[in-house]
Amino acid sequence: MSYKFPEVDQQGTPLMPMDTPYWNPRTETLPREQLDALRLRKLRDHVAWTLANAPWQGRLLREAGVRAEDISSLDDIRRIPFMTRDDWMESQIADPPFGAVLAQPPEAAMRYHTTSGTSGSRPLAVLDGPKDWEWIAEMWCYALWGFGIRPRDSVFFAFSYGTFVGFWGAHYAAEKLGCLVLPGGNMTTEARVRQIMATDTTVVCSTPTYALRMAQEAQSLGIDLASGPVRRVLLSGEPAGSIPATKRLIEEQWGAKAADTAGMTEVGTIIMFECDHQPGGAHIIEDHFLEEVLDPATDEPVAYGEEGERIVTSFGRGFVPVLRYRTRDLVCRVPASTCSCGRTFDIYDGGIRGRVDDMKVVRGTNIYPRAIEEIVRRRDGIDEFQIHLYTVGDQRDEIEVLVECATATEGDPLLTELKRELAEAHEGLRIDVRLAERESLPRFELKAKRLVDDRTVWGSKGDRKVM
Amino acid sequence: MADATFELTAGERQLLECYESIKQVLTDHRDELPPFAERNAVKALAALWQIANGAGTHPGHIYDTGA
Repeated sequence: MSYKFPEVDQQGTPLMPMDTPYWNPRTETLPREQLDALRLRKLRDHVAWTLANAPWQGRLLREAGVRAEDISSLDDIRRIPFMTRDDWMESQIADPPFGAVLAQPPEAAMRYHTTSGTSGSRPLAVLDGPKDWEWIAEMWCYALWGFGIRPRDSVFFAFSYGTFVGFWGAHYAAEKLGCLVLPGGNMTTEARVRQIMATDTTVVCSTPTYALRMAQEAQSLGIDLASGPVRRVLLSGEPAGSIPATKRLIEEQWGAKAADTAGMTEVGTIIMFECDHQPGGAHIIEDHFLEEVLDPATDEPVAYGEEGERIVTSFGRGFVPVLRYRTRDLVCRVPASTCSCGRTFDIYDGGIRGRVDDMKVVRGTNIYPRAIEEIVRRRDGIDEFQIHLYTVGDQRDEIEVLVECATATEGDPLLTELKRELAEAHEGLRIDVRLAERESLPRFELKAKRLVDDRTVWGSKGDRKVM
Repeated sequence: MADATFELTAGERQLLECYESIKQVLTDHRDELPPFAERNAVKALAALWQIANGAGTHPGHIYDTGA
């Protein structure tokens, strides 16, 4: 199998290999059959490694009777039992601080990281060795290069460098690319905005929520971001990076192109990225991950175009082998051909669409925070919002959306129109919309948590439970 | 199913030789190397592993070399 670098572009201009739009031109354009062959070999190697080195994951495989030599097709992955966060956490609690998940002694590690802890649950802790840490950055290189970031760029990270893995891998990826890296940790929002402008930064990495927060700050400082030097905003950490209305708002306010990425600490890095063609979704890095999409209720695979839960198997990190990890992320997989970039990596249309456990039921109607955000962000002038669930009279579920809007006053048509739109999108459910005082709603730098559930009971009549 | 082995360019083959060579040094002589040599070799091997892996070889994991 060979890859020939194209000698000229579509206009006939001579090309150098570094002009390629792909980080790894060979694997990113592999025909499906060859990509599957590569992944099958990696899956076999990964199972063999796990059986030999990882006590907890190896036990799961042995109990299921899984042997590397028995894996003859990618479908055989279904014989491997699921890893769940709860089981992993149980192991971590029983055998602190990491659980019996390490395939190497802790002294062989050089990085310690944790999950963000934003879900309110106890964070998982993981370790990486030098090769794994380099691989973590390598995955981000697919995203940075694929989004058109090049050595001439200067990249600002609006990120508090801590134990949450966040943009750490992206930082080292940008260094690897040869970009000028500006580590914007431990700074106020104002200081970040001023530094971005003062240094002619061309790329900003941030969560979608914080990208909007910086834009608001710039506005209040009288700085016109849209005419500034930033030409690309690389987003991660929240599903909002693929919510069209939110993304459009970020692009307008920054005068720059925005692209989504998504990953998780459990595998140490990103698993998907949106390329420069912006297909409205993210390519799965299929030469390093095997992603399944299953119906969360039946665990059966769903077809292209259907929503399901993504299950990840990661080949790169050997320190903490991950096989068939239940992410609880909702995705909708579509073929690679949906994008015109030429990659053969399939796409998660709309990125991460939410969480299996995100859905709330209010008076019998399903509520997804992402769907509400999509509607709210279509409206100009809303700086921040919060979804609030509460109980009235100890028996009735209520939902309201609080919005901060500098230009609106009580009784503003914007509020009534928003209320109508929300109701129309939710089977006529009454969703009150109230104006919140300026700067009264929480701001987020990491993963935004905009749904507050203050209900004392939940569920439909006859099935109510105390919270 | 198709073979997953890639046809590599001359430059890529040479880089893989570097990878194998550093790996061999760390396997055979790691304890004899002074800190500046051993730590930089580990760092280089961790980077070269990405090339070996991306080029479709079977590099496995290399923790026994310190990387």
